[in-house]
Amino acid sequence: MATPDIETSATAASTRAGTGTTFTRFVGLATIVGMIALGVFGLLLSPADVQQSDSVRILYIHVGTVWIAYVAFAVTALSSAAYLWKRTTSLTWDRLAGASAEIGVLFMALTLLAGSLWGRLSWGKFWVWDARVTSTAFMFVTYVGYLAVRGLGGSHQQRARRSAVVALLAVLEIPLVHFSVKLWRGLHQDSSVADRTHVNLHGLMLFSLFISLVAFTLLYVWLLMHRQRVLAMQDAIDNTGLDYALQQRRDEGDL
Amino acid sequence: MFRVARLIAAKDLRVELRSRVVTNQVLPFAAIVMVMFAFALNSDAVVSRVAPGLVWLATLFSLLILVQRSFAIENADGATDALRAAGVDPSGIFLGKAMALAVQLAVLELVLLVSAVVLYSTELRVGGIVLLLVTFVAATVGLALVGTLYGGLAGGVRGRETLLPLLLLPVVAPVLIGATRATESALGTGGATVADGWPWVGLLAVFVALFSVGGTLAFGPLIEE
Amino acid sequence: MEDLGFILATYIVTFGSVAAFAIAIVRRGRRLAAQLPAKDKPWT
Repeated sequence: MATPDIETSATAASTRAGTGTTFTRFVGLATIVGMIALGVFGLLLSPADVQQSDSVRILYIHVGTVWIAYVAFAVTALSSAAYLWKRTTSLTWDRLAGASAEIGVLFMALTLLAGSLWGRLSWGKFWVWDARVTSTAFMFVTYVGYLAVRGLGGSHQQRARRSAVVALLAVLEIPLVHFSVKLWRGLHQDSSVADRTHVNLHGLMLFSLFISLVAFTLLYVWLLMHRQRVLAMQDAIDNTGLDYALQQRRDEGDL
Repeated sequence: MFRVARLIAAKDLRVELRSRVVTNQVLPFAAIVMVMFAFALNSDAVVSRVAPGLVWLATLFSLLILVQRSFAIENADGATDALRAAGVDPSGIFLGKAMALAVQLAVLELVLLVSAVVLYSTELRVGGIVLLLVTFVAATVGLALVGTLYGGLAGGVRGRETLLPLLLLPVVAPVLIGATRATESALGTGGATVADGWPWVGLLAVFVALFSVGGTLAFGPLIEE
Repeated sequence: MEDLGFILATYIVTFGSVAAFAIAIVRRGRRLAAQLPAKDKPWT
């Protein structure tokens, strides 16, 4: 549990000039409290599961991260649509989509990691060719590609239009992949291992899961606001900031 | 739109007929990939069991090269810019390039199928011919559509050579799954019956339907600068 | 606790990489904020 205090310093840093505001500081503090609570409840207070014993503790992380990854990708899709829709078109939507996708990719990676560790404990293998697991991996790769498209260069409008279209194509692709993998597994001999492992959550376990969802949602909001603002500043620097930076260097020279 | 598409397709195919880049470079590449698969798997039984999958894998690899070639001829001399400046309908460009790509893919797949018959002793059966044909047509159209779509996106941008596979391969995964299973049914690989294959053709049809509409709509904004 | 290694690895890697990501964003934000006038930072 050494990590939350690193986060404290991160939030403390944002109290000075930067991307922080009173609201983000509040969310940041709540996130830290939530994460500490998640650590305490997930690792110490909640009991081991009857069937899965202690490996169920991984799920408190896993469910939280996968939830955020899905939320993040949904936000990316909606913001991209908002950008492409002529009446709401604004680069803010594009930056929101980009910030959200970046967070989504990070959390998808964490989801795959926690998921495979959990799978090793409860299924005996890191990976099963289950439709949900496989389309999750595809989602990860697709949004890594989306981020690469964002990095292609060109004007901000070009970047925004290109990446918005790619984000909407991803919405077309993901269900198709999911469906085809499902069909593929369905027609094969062994039904998915995932269906055979059930967790009956109740009491403290359910409460820990609830804490996880709340804490990770707060974390997502905090990350999204900061990341979006950083992107806005990068765009502003691309546009006009160069002159300003040069002016500052000149001023420094005079001192 | 369709008139434009026909013109663009005819132009692409004429460029190919005169330059013979696909014929002289991509087809031999696909054939050598088929030989390499046999080296890697090192067993006649395994190779003949997985032959349909290998045919489609080799098709996907070659698709990446075909798409790059298809947009390399557009970017040389700023051909795309000229087309756009002339006010040519982007949907027409999209369908035209997809048609030309589909023709080239069809030739390539034929070569791959023949090489599977020769190298992997794959046997065609009469009852599966219709399924085989429909599968190849549906998969070819689907691959040509998404290939053109993402090729247009990556074309004309620095670093496109490495970006295209990353974008394209996840999208065509349903085609690989569907086409491979349907081909297995058509050939009777691993005891599959012809009737097993038709649901997979349905999957391919859904794929084609979604990406023909999605691609026609998306291509314009993607290539606009 | 059974499987302590796997469980701790999950928690440490998750919290650790999230913290690293958060710090990277905040640092970048502060660096960029220093280069820009207030009108480009509507949230301040």
